[in-house]
Amino acid sequence: MTNVESAQTAPWETLAVCLLLLVAPAVVSQHVFRAWHLLGLAGALVVALFASTGELAYLAVAVGAMVHALTVVRATRTGAATLAVSALAAVGVALAIRQDHMAVAFGLSCLCIALRAGVMPLHVGVASICDRLPVVQTQQLSSTIALVFVHLRFVDHHAAAVALAPLLVRYGAAATITAALMTLVQRDLRGLYRGTTAMHGGMLLAAVGAASLDNFAAALLVAVAMGLALGGLGIMITSLEERVGPVSFQGPGGRAGTLPKLAAAFALFGGAGVGLPGTAGFVADDLLLHTLWMESPTSTVTVILSSALLAVATLIAFSRVFLGRTTPSLAPDLYPRERVVVVLLLLLLLLLGFAPGVLLGPADAFLSNLPPVS
Amino acid sequence: MSDVFSAAIVLAVLAPLVSVAAVGLLALLADDHPSERMASRLIGTGLMASVVASVVVLCGYGGVFGEPVRGDVEFANWLRIGNFVIPTVFLVDGISVTISLFAAILTALVARFSVTYLHKEAGFVRFFTLLGVFATGTQLVALAGALELFFAGWEMIGISSAFFIGFFHERDEPVRSSVRAFATYRFSDAGLLIATVTTFELLGSARFSAFAGAATLPAAEATAIALLFLVSAMGKSAQLPFSGWLPRAMEGPTPSSALFYGAVSIHAGLFLLLRVWPVLEVSLVARAVGVLIGLSTAVYASAVVRVHTDAKGALAHATLAQVGLILAEICLGWTTLALTHLVCHAFLRLGQYLKAPNTIHDSHRLGHAHAGHPGWIERWSPDLSARIYAASLHRLRLDDRIDVAFSPVLALARGIDRADRWLRRAVTLDGQTS
Repeated sequence: MTNVESAQTAPWETLAVCLLLLVAPAVVSQHVFRAWHLLGLAGALVVALFASTGELAYLAVAVGAMVHALTVVRATRTGAATLAVSALAAVGVALAIRQDHMAVAFGLSCLCIALRAGVMPLHVGVASICDRLPVVQTQQLSSTIALVFVHLRFVDHHAAAVALAPLLVRYGAAATITAALMTLVQRDLRGLYRGTTAMHGGMLLAAVGAASLDNFAAALLVAVAMGLALGGLGIMITSLEERVGPVSFQGPGGRAGTLPKLAAAFALFGGAGVGLPGTAGFVADDLLLHTLWMESPTSTVTVILSSALLAVATLIAFSRVFLGRTTPSLAPDLYPRERVVVVLLLLLLLLLGFAPGVLLGPADAFLSNLPPVS
Repeated sequence: MSDVFSAAIVLAVLAPLVSVAAVGLLALLADDHPSERMASRLIGTGLMASVVASVVVLCGYGGVFGEPVRGDVEFANWLRIGNFVIPTVFLVDGISVTISLFAAILTALVARFSVTYLHKEAGFVRFFTLLGVFATGTQLVALAGALELFFAGWEMIGISSAFFIGFFHERDEPVRSSVRAFATYRFSDAGLLIATVTTFELLGSARFSAFAGAATLPAAEATAIALLFLVSAMGKSAQLPFSGWLPRAMEGPTPSSALFYGAVSIHAGLFLLLRVWPVLEVSLVARAVGVLIGLSTAVYASAVVRVHTDAKGALAHATLAQVGLILAEICLGWTTLALTHLVCHAFLRLGQYLKAPNTIHDSHRLGHAHAGHPGWIERWSPDLSARIYAASLHRLRLDDRIDVAFSPVLALARGIDRADRWLRRAVTLDGQTS
């Protein structure tokens, strides 16, 4: 396929990843979601990814955010309010694009991404969702990927994006190390998820900043890898807590003996989140570091150290939750439907780890060939 | 022939990983664990395929099938985005084929040994799965032609090593040791990653063949890159001040200790330095630091080995002393001697580790060692001798010192966590936060 031909498939591939992340939590936790949630979100994703204008795409993003807000409002008003604010910001982007205020559009779009990805200190809403309904956070990640795609497509080609790139990269790197340090001292599983999400949010913001310098692929891959790894982790945390209740790091772990499949899946998703070789996380980290280096070597080193800290935090959490003297339990290991979800997410992580060009080639061609917006 | 040769390289690297994937899928999708027989046969097949493929690679390198194959062997790029390329390239030279074959044979031997040794052990399948991951990691490290591939293998070795140390996870100590070893690995790996990115940006490529241009780098940049590689190697090969994790690593099963800390993994850092020798060669500062670190580690480990009362701990420090010497040899520029020393030492230690469980039996059969005459230090200065003895007993309190050095970071982390909790309480609409 030529570049131009392959570029046409880019939204389809991104849509496939988003839909998998959208449906996976619903398969695992069937009681949380209603059919209209899923249909509404799927519709918003399709419109956002295939829209021919920025206004329409951002309006679809706003609709998606509101559907997420409605899903979580009973569990957390903070999370719902954050999603509603991000929806307002998306509407603001649409209006700014219509008025051709591209600098405003870029700023609001970055705010939208920061709120949805949980970049510190704007992470309060996402942290609240991670605390109270982690499985919805997994689903929310699917629309965050779409949001990043829309951002790269419609507002990232403007001069303001280039001007703000150094600030975004440095801010993202600072948020990354702050979140990684915080994750290191968490005392329960949801704290780990909260911190990990905030750390990846920082990385995503840095990647979006660096994307302005024609590095669209890194930002998209970071978003996808983050979605798949954190999505899988969120599903595993939900599955574990549905079996044994809230999990603190204080008491005895010892669950690997009774829940070996869940433990293995948790380790693999946690590993993918910190760049386990062979997974999309590894390539995403590598690509991100090279792109960040062009803008700021200090930020690159900061992100590398953050990743090391998060890896240690993840292993500590794994050891406290799953290792130790086996705790007798009647809780069943992963159900078949959960295993299917785990296998699909892992296969996608591995596919993008071994052949990242499948997604990135068309996406990069698609995004790079767009004319710059004056 | 080139197709066969290329296929052999791919097989050497991927065969163990494919067998791991098969065992993993079986474990995940089936209701029961795969049986011992199935797991050991599947992984064993992958390891044997890797051995055969390594032999073919060696033969190709030696010109047995015709024209010798040497230098970079290219495959389709792992990733190409604009000008940025992560190449799938393997480097075939004397060092890579030696290490590839040596690691493949040792891993297969240890796998065969472990079928009996770990029979009916609860983590039998886990052990073999990790062994497969390790085998792929070592083959990647041995044959990689670019730093990205090398780093992938390096990470796989580190992860499998951490999980092997925590293998008997029902006890607390192995789990703690596993986390400590992993933390050391990750922070020294950060050095390798920074060096990789820096090399790419300065030399335009992270291929090992690009290191030929290292002589053109400004002295400061060459020294910085060389020092980063050195730090990385020090962490992986447990050189001072990162030696604390090695005795703790002996918590793992004996076959994995033999393979990792006697034979392959402990020498991986040295192999890295042999690979990046052109950049090390141009940095006198880094080489001097390397010699100093290597010799200090050798002296330290030689002192500690004399006071160790358990067989594996003593062997670990004996290994460390030799690894320190090999590091010094590399940094002095004696690379051929270092490679020979490395391979011979690895074979010797593998045998000694595997025989370690028989130590008590051998000791009874051969007679207990008796305390010898006082050494020259003791005769010259009993006080100094007593101090060395005490320092060796508590291993210079290396772990405590690292904990102290790291404590400000933890304090900062706790401060950030408190601030985060305060912020979330201040703006929440939900009444209470965790």
